[in-house]
Amino acid sequence: MTTDLESEVKTQETQPRVDLAGDVCEIRDERIEGIIQANITRSERRAQLLDRTATATVWTLALIGLGILAFIIFVILYRGIAAALAPGFVFGKPQAMKEGGGIWPMVVSSFYLALLTIAIVVPLGVGAAVYMTEFAKEGRITRLVRFGADSLSTVPSVVFGIFGMVLFVIYFGLGYSLLAGALTLALLNMPTVMRTTEEATLAVPRSYREAAMGLGANRWETAKKIVLPSAMPGITTGIVLTMGRIVGESAAVIYTVGIFVRKAPTSPLQPAAPMAAHIWHTYTEGALVSDWMRVANGEAAFLLLVVLALNLAARMIARTYRKRLGMVN
Amino acid sequence: MQGVIDREWIVRKTLFTLAMMTVLGIILIIFFVAREAIPAFTGAGPANLFSATWNPKSGQYGMLIFLTGTLATTVGGLLLGTPLAIGSALFLTQMAPRRVRSIATRGVELLAGVPSIVLGWLGFTIMVPWIRSATGSTGTGLLAASIILAIMVLPTITAIAKDALEAVPESHKQAALAMGATRWQMIRRVLLPAAKPGLLVAVILGMGRAIGETMAVALVIGPATAFPTSLTTPTHTMTTKILIEMGESTGLQRSSLFAMGLVLLLMAMLLILLVRLVTHRKEVVR
Repeated sequence: MTTDLESEVKTQETQPRVDLAGDVCEIRDERIEGIIQANITRSERRAQLLDRTATATVWTLALIGLGILAFIIFVILYRGIAAALAPGFVFGKPQAMKEGGGIWPMVVSSFYLALLTIAIVVPLGVGAAVYMTEFAKEGRITRLVRFGADSLSTVPSVVFGIFGMVLFVIYFGLGYSLLAGALTLALLNMPTVMRTTEEATLAVPRSYREAAMGLGANRWETAKKIVLPSAMPGITTGIVLTMGRIVGESAAVIYTVGIFVRKAPTSPLQPAAPMAAHIWHTYTEGALVSDWMRVANGEAAFLLLVVLALNLAARMIARTYRKRLGMVN
Repeated sequence: MQGVIDREWIVRKTLFTLAMMTVLGIILIIFFVAREAIPAFTGAGPANLFSATWNPKSGQYGMLIFLTGTLATTVGGLLLGTPLAIGSALFLTQMAPRRVRSIATRGVELLAGVPSIVLGWLGFTIMVPWIRSATGSTGTGLLAASIILAIMVLPTITAIAKDALEAVPESHKQAALAMGATRWQMIRRVLLPAAKPGLLVAVILGMGRAIGETMAVALVIGPATAFPTSLTTPTHTMTTKILIEMGESTGLQRSSLFAMGLVLLLMAMLLILLVRLVTHRKEVVR
C-alpha cells in the first residue's frame, strides 16, 4: 500500500508538467509573438502617420483662419486708407448730390453715440455685476438674472433695432435720436459689460474682502473701496472693448438713430448717423453720388482703424494697470 | 450705526434693481415685438404668415422664403466655419508654439471686433465679383452669405472652443500620452470627448450669431424675394428682409416683419435652452 502511494507521489513529482507547459508556451511564443509584433509596429506606424496628417490638417485650418483675418484687414486698409487720410475726408462735410464729400458728422455721431451709451450701460452693467458677485447668494434670483443676460446676448441686433424703434423712438417719443440709440445699445451691451466686470471682480482675491470686512467694513464699503478699485483694469478693458462694439454696430442703430445727417449732432435728442449706419446708407443710396465707392471704402477703413485702435487701447490699459498695481488680473 | 445699515440696504436694493434690468430688458423686448406682431397674426393669420408667398400687395405675408434663407445660410456658414474654428482652437491650445499662440489669439480677438458692415462691404466689393466671374451668376446668394457667415462665426466658435479645450485637466492629457498615445490619439480619444459639451456650446452660440447676423449678409445675399434655386441666386434671410423693408412698410406688412422678428427671438431663446440642456449648467459658457 505504502509503495503504491509512494510511487503515486513519485510519478506525480516526476511528471514533466512544467516542461510540457514550457514547451507549449514556447510554441505559442514563436508563432504568435511575431504576428503581434508585426501588428504593433504596423498600428504604431499608422498612428504616427495619422498623427502627422492630423497635425498638418490642424495647422492648415488655423493658417487659413489667420490668413482670412490678415487678408480682411489688409484689403480694407489698403483700399480705403488713401481716401480715409485724404485732407477733407474725416473732417469734411458730406455731400448728398455731388462728389468730394467727407464724413465728419458721422465721425461725431459714432463717438457721441458711443460715449452716451457707455454713460448708460456702465452703471447698469457694473452695478448688476457687483450685485451678482458681492451681494447675491447663488439661487433663484441669480439664475434668473443670468438667464436674462444670456437671452439679451443672443437676441439678434436687428431685433434690438426694431424693439428700440417701437419703445424709444415711437412710444417714448424720442424720435430718431442719439438717446434712443444709446438706450437700445445700452441694453444690447449690458451682458458684455456685466460679464467682463464679473470676471474682473471674481479675480480679486477673497483675502482682500476678508481683510476689509475684518476691519469692520460692510459689503458696500468693501465693494466700493477694495473690490472695484482692484478690478478696475479688467472693468476698463471691458468698457473700451464695448466702445468698439458700439462704434461698429449698425443693425440696431439704423432704425433708432438714423443713417444720414448733414451736420454733426449737438444734443442727444437730435438724429445722427454713426459711420457704420452711414456705410449702409451709402450702399443703398449709392447711385446718388458718383464717388460713393470712395466714400464707403474710406469710411470702412477709418471705422476699422477706430475699432482696432480701441482694441489696442483696451489691451494697453490692462497692461499698464496691471504693472502699476502689480497684481494678476 | 442705524444709518449705515440703512444705506447698505438701499445700495443692495439699487444694485438688485440694476441686475434685474437684464430680465426686464428681455421681457420688454419680447413684449413690444410681440405687441407689434399681433395684428399680423389676427389680421393675416398664422397660415398666411407661414406660407411660401410674400406679396404684400395681394395680402400675402408668407415668411417661408426668408426662413429658408436664414436656415440655409446658417447651415452653410457653420459647415464652412466650424472645421476652421475647431481646427484653430486645437491649434491654439495644443500645437502652436508659444509666440505664435499669443499672436494668433490676438488675431482671433481682432477678427471678432471687425464691424459686420465692414465685412459685408468687403464681401460686396471683393468676394461677390469673384464669385460672379467664376460662376457667371450675379455672385450674390447663399454661397456668398455662407462664406461671410463662416468668417463671422469663426472667432465666436474658436474662442469658446478654446476655453472648453483648456478646461480639460492637464492630468488627463498626460495620462494618455504616458500610455504611449500619439498627440492625435490623445486629442481624439481623450481631449475631444472630454471637451465635447463645451464644443457643442461653441457651435450653438456660433449658430446664434449666424441666425442673427444682418448687415454682412444684407450686402451679399442679393437681395431678392425668391426661393434660392442654386447657391448663387439672390435670395433673402429674415434679418435682411426686416432690415430692408422695415423703413418703408406700414400696416400688416410692417406687422408681419415684426412677426419675423418674433420668430428670430424665439429661435434665440431656443438656442439658450439648448445650451443649458447640453451643459446641464445654469450658466452659458463663454
